[in-house]
Order: sequence, then C-alpha cells, then structure tokens
Amino acid sequence: MKTYTFAKSQALFRRAAQVIPCGIYGHMSPAPLVPPTAYPFFAARGKGSRFWDVDGNEFIDYMCAYGPMVLGYNHPVVDEAVRKQLEQGNTLTAPAPIMVELAEYLVELIAGAGFAYFAKNGGDMTSYATMIARSATGRKKIVAIKGGYHGVASWMQGGGHHGVVDEDVENMIRIPWNDVAAFEKAIARHPGQIAGFIATPYHHPTFVDNELPAEGYWQNIRRLCDREGIVLIIDDVRCGFRLDIRGSHAYFGFQPDLVCFCKAIGNGYPISALVGTKKMQNEAAKVFYTGSYWFQAAPMAAALATLKELKRIDGPKRMLDYGKRLLDGLTEVARHHGLDLKTTGAPSLPYLRLTDDETLMQHQDWCAECTRRGAYFTSHHNWFMSAAHTAEDLQRTLDIADDAFKAIGTTSKGERRATNRARKK
Amino acid sequence: MCFERVKAHLNLHAVLPNLEDLVRLDPEARQLTRDWQIAIQFVVRQGPKAHVVFKQGACTVGRGLHVPPSVVLFFASPAHLNRMFDGKSNPVPLWGFTKLPFLSRDFAKLTDRLTYFLKPSEALLEDPSYLALNTRLTLNTAAYAVPELLAHRRELRPIAAGLPDGVVQLQVLPDGPSAYVVSADGKTSAGRGEPAQRPMARMAMKDMATANAFLSGKLDSFTAIAAGDVSIRGQLPLLDAMSLVLDHVPKYLS
Repeated sequence: MKTYTFAKSQALFRRAAQVIPCGIYGHMSPAPLVPPTAYPFFAARGKGSRFWDVDGNEFIDYMCAYGPMVLGYNHPVVDEAVRKQLEQGNTLTAPAPIMVELAEYLVELIAGAGFAYFAKNGGDMTSYATMIARSATGRKKIVAIKGGYHGVASWMQGGGHHGVVDEDVENMIRIPWNDVAAFEKAIARHPGQIAGFIATPYHHPTFVDNELPAEGYWQNIRRLCDREGIVLIIDDVRCGFRLDIRGSHAYFGFQPDLVCFCKAIGNGYPISALVGTKKMQNEAAKVFYTGSYWFQAAPMAAALATLKELKRIDGPKRMLDYGKRLLDGLTEVARHHGLDLKTTGAPSLPYLRLTDDETLMQHQDWCAECTRRGAYFTSHHNWFMSAAHTAEDLQRTLDIADDAFKAIGTTSKGERRATNRARKK
Repeated sequence: MCFERVKAHLNLHAVLPNLEDLVRLDPEARQLTRDWQIAIQFVVRQGPKAHVVFKQGACTVGRGLHVPPSVVLFFASPAHLNRMFDGKSNPVPLWGFTKLPFLSRDFAKLTDRLTYFLKPSEALLEDPSYLALNTRLTLNTAAYAVPELLAHRRELRPIAAGLPDGVVQLQVLPDGPSAYVVSADGKTSAGRGEPAQRPMARMAMKDMATANAFLSGKLDSFTAIAAGDVSIRGQLPLLDAMSLVLDHVPKYLS
C-alpha cells in the first residue's frame, strides 16, 4: 500500500515556526503526534468524511477537526444556511433574529432546557458556567474530576503549568471519576463552600482508557447537588450531539442545571452554547459575560441548520452505529495479527489502545502507519465519528489498518502466539 | 521551600555530580585528579549534604554524609553554598585544615574546569569535543534536577502528585550520552547511561548540536519535536510532566 510523504507540510511548518509560537499551537500542535513526521501539518481542503493536506494526500478523517465536523466537511445544507445569512449580515451592531430562533430551537431540543446563551468556544461556556454557579450560590469552590479537561483558562489547567498561579486553582477540588464517596468527602471537608460540580458526561481523558458512568453515578451526584445546593454543570463540549440529540445527559438519564456545548453544534462554524434549566436563567442573567464576535449570525445559522440536520437523519445513532462497526472491524483486524485492541468510551468518540505494550509505543507506531496510508488516527486522544463516514470509508479503513499492522511487524508475533496456543492445546 | 534552598539542592545534587563525568572524560581533569585520595564533605546548615570522593583516578559524588571525610566544608546557609557555586564566596573548612592548600589550589582548578564546561560561549560550542562534554553535562544536570525540583519546589507538587510510574529516557543520537528519570510510588530519582528498566517514554535528540540547543532552551520544544529534531515516544504524560519541571531549571541555574 502506498504511503504518504509530507514535504510541503514540513516546509510550511518551518515557515510557521519563524513567526508563530510552536509553529502550530494548542491542540493542533503536531508535537503530540507520534512521530510528527508521519502526519500532515496543514490541511488544504475537506469534503464529507475526508480532508486533503497541502501535499495532496487524502485522509479518511477520524478526528473530524477534533470534534466540530459532525455532518461532513462543506456540508451543503449547513453551508447554504451560512451563505444566506451572510447575504443578510453577520457581525452587525445588533444581534440578528437567527439568535432567537436558535435559542428557541435549543430550548425545545435539549432535555430540560429553559434558556440558551451563545459564545465561541467550549472554554467560554465552562468558565461562564462556573461563574454562574458561584454567583448563584455565593460560594467559591468548584469540584471537578481528576484528569478532566474543560478548556485552557488558568482555573482549568493544573497547578505547576506555565502561566498558572496557585491562586488560580486554589478553589478547585479534584476528585476521581465515578467516585460518589469522594464527592461526599469533599462536601464534608468544605461544608457550604462548594458552588459547582463540573464534569463531562463520561470520563474521556487522553492517554488512558475512557470510562462510562457507573450505574447510578449521575443520579447520586444529582442527589448530592440537590441536597447541598450545588450547581451541576455538564461539559458536553466533546460528547454533545454524538450520543443523543437531546444532550448527553438525556443519554445517561439525569438532569444537570447547566450544559456546555461547542464542537459539533455548528459543523465547524465558530459557536458554543450554554443551555440551562429555567430556574438558572435569572442567575445566568446576573453574570456579565460577552465577546466581540459572540453575536455573529452566520455561525448561529450554521448551528441551527446543523442541529436540524442531525435530528432529521438521527445523526447520533448513525455515528454510534458507524463507530461500532469500525471498532468491531479494527478489533478483529488486530486479533488477526495476534494483538488485543481495547476500545473504550462511546463508539461515536472512542478511545483505542493496543494492550500488548504498556509504553503505548506499538499503538503509536500503528496509528502513524495508518495515517501514512490515509486513515487519520491519533494515538492518545479519543477519535470522532461523523455522520458523513460511509461503508466505503469503513472498508478502506480496515484495509489500511491491516496493512499498517503488517508494516509494524506484528505478524510474526501473532504467528508465534498462535503457534504457542496450538502447542498448549 | 525558599529559592536559595532549592538552588542549593540543585547545586549539590544536580550540578556537583557532573564531576564524575568531567574526571572520566576531560583529559585535563583526569590528569589533575589522577593521584587524589580524598573525601570532601559538603555540609549546608539547614540545607542539603553531599560528598565528593577521589580515589584511584575516579571521582564519585554522593548524597549525605561520607564517613570519614578528609575535609569538611561548612556553609552557613544555602545562600552561602550558592554563592560559592557562583564563584563569589568560600566555604568554612571545619575539618581537615591540612587540606586547605589542596582545596584552594587543586580542587579549585577542578571546579574551575567544571565551570568552564558548564558555562559555554558560542565560540566554545564550535569545538566538537567541547560541545560533546557540555551537552553531556547539561543532560546530566537536567535529569538530576528533576527529582530535586519535584521534591523541593512547592509549585510543582501538583505535577509530582500526578506523575505516573515509569522510566523516562533522554538520549542524544546517534551514539551520544543518555540519562534517565525514574518515577515510582510518588518519588523520582535520576541516573546516567542506559536505565535498567525498559523506558516507558523516550526523548531522543537527533545529534549533539540539537541536543545542546534543546537542553539549553534555545529551541522551542514544540517546534523541535514537530520538526523531527527531537523525537518523543511512549507515555507522553511522563515527558510532559518532566518538561514542565525542566522549564524551572533556568530560574536557578541560568
């Protein structure tokens, strides 16, 4: 199978590094890709489930722009809605009517919703949610999950990281995932001081297996929040609209006070949303929070079109189904090579890991070889499915995965194991 | 822990151990120490202790007390020790007065030699043999600094608490020096050469010049990694944590 090279990406990166910190910064930095030389750094264009890099290489995309692409790149329905709105106006002196239309649609769509508020990024909304929780309760402390990610503001980053001072994180309490007793202990240690509990619908950190909520976990957290007057905040930025069109809390059967959405909400157009219960609307109104581009009408039109289209085609189910078929197929391909591929989290945004090597190096090699062959796999971050992935993509991906396993030289290992098993029998 | 005390730990436990490689690899230092038979004890009031032993042409640097020492150098405070390392103060000999001429003449020559290799100029780095030794010593210092900073710098406690177990190897390709940091049960330690255990994470710098620029902070790490000049593999959280710690070294040892 042909493997890709990335001369133009690398040349462009060298130019970028002269004038941009890190060359490419943040979550799109190539540094965590292992090895970066197996990955494209710059994308030229996208269509459906695929993108093409500046070297002309074509990829079936399993990162989906790290989540925002959910219906497919350049989706005609979404892009047409944006085009129409741009003809009317985008950033104007007053909000466009589309804002009200989108808020009304979200309130109707999201389980338990009473209001909606718009910004640009997921971190805008998680910060806003914690401010609302503090304003509503008159308390300072926020409980979050160890390893949980809610953006890049200083309160969300761990102590010891650059630009973070002790005071930024002194009111954060980190507890393990799925540990109701730890939450009870935190409440006991800080009576009457906890303003909010923030977590993702299930635990999806990088580098470790993802974990779904244990039976009754969310119901118990809800109960404790109610008992103690703590605001329950769900960061649905990553999972949102990939598990359930009504919000991931509906998928897991509980009702938060505030839910943060971003990524999939606008199919790549810049918008995030905080959705809350009617009871929280007045509390949200008290916190002044805004941004220069938060009233852009075109992304709101994109969000409205995206959500309607996702609902029409039952996008979450389509992504869960595709993810399941992909994971089943990849697991079988790995098994054929004598390897155990463990998949965790929801199939529409799964985390994968070859279990035979605790250093992760084998898994990194495999993901790199898949990417070199046209299936864009990252090795330590959960992947994202889209509603645009097709049966053809699936078969092509499995072929690539098989060839990549051959390339990393596991066949002989698998054969050895098969031989050993046969001997034991 | 205060700045001076952290710096004293770094000077004694991350910088001073470089004497071992200096004596082993620098012909001038080897010649100078060839016949030395002496154990020098460093004692810092309300600070760390370390010892340097010269025996049969080899140098060994250790933590804590050496029994019996030939000479004891006392420092009234961590700041006093740090001033000595900066060449601005002298220790107080508590024991081994007959060794004073040795300390002021011969040992000073050796520490001057160490300073020479640890504080490069652009011109010196043009010399491949200087570049190689400076890079090796900088690599050693970096590796040995990690446990000290994690143990003694308060701001890094969250990093220490979240550090997974495993060995991180730092190596200079194709056949340059190697050092490692071991994280186990919430504690870290460091060593030179190949680790005994299989590394959970590896950082490899493509050549001596790249390693030198990378370790001395002249290269942005994200850019160097993305460009392929420095490769990382394995359990990257270990490397991420170590990188955060190493970024604190220049605050003390610039």
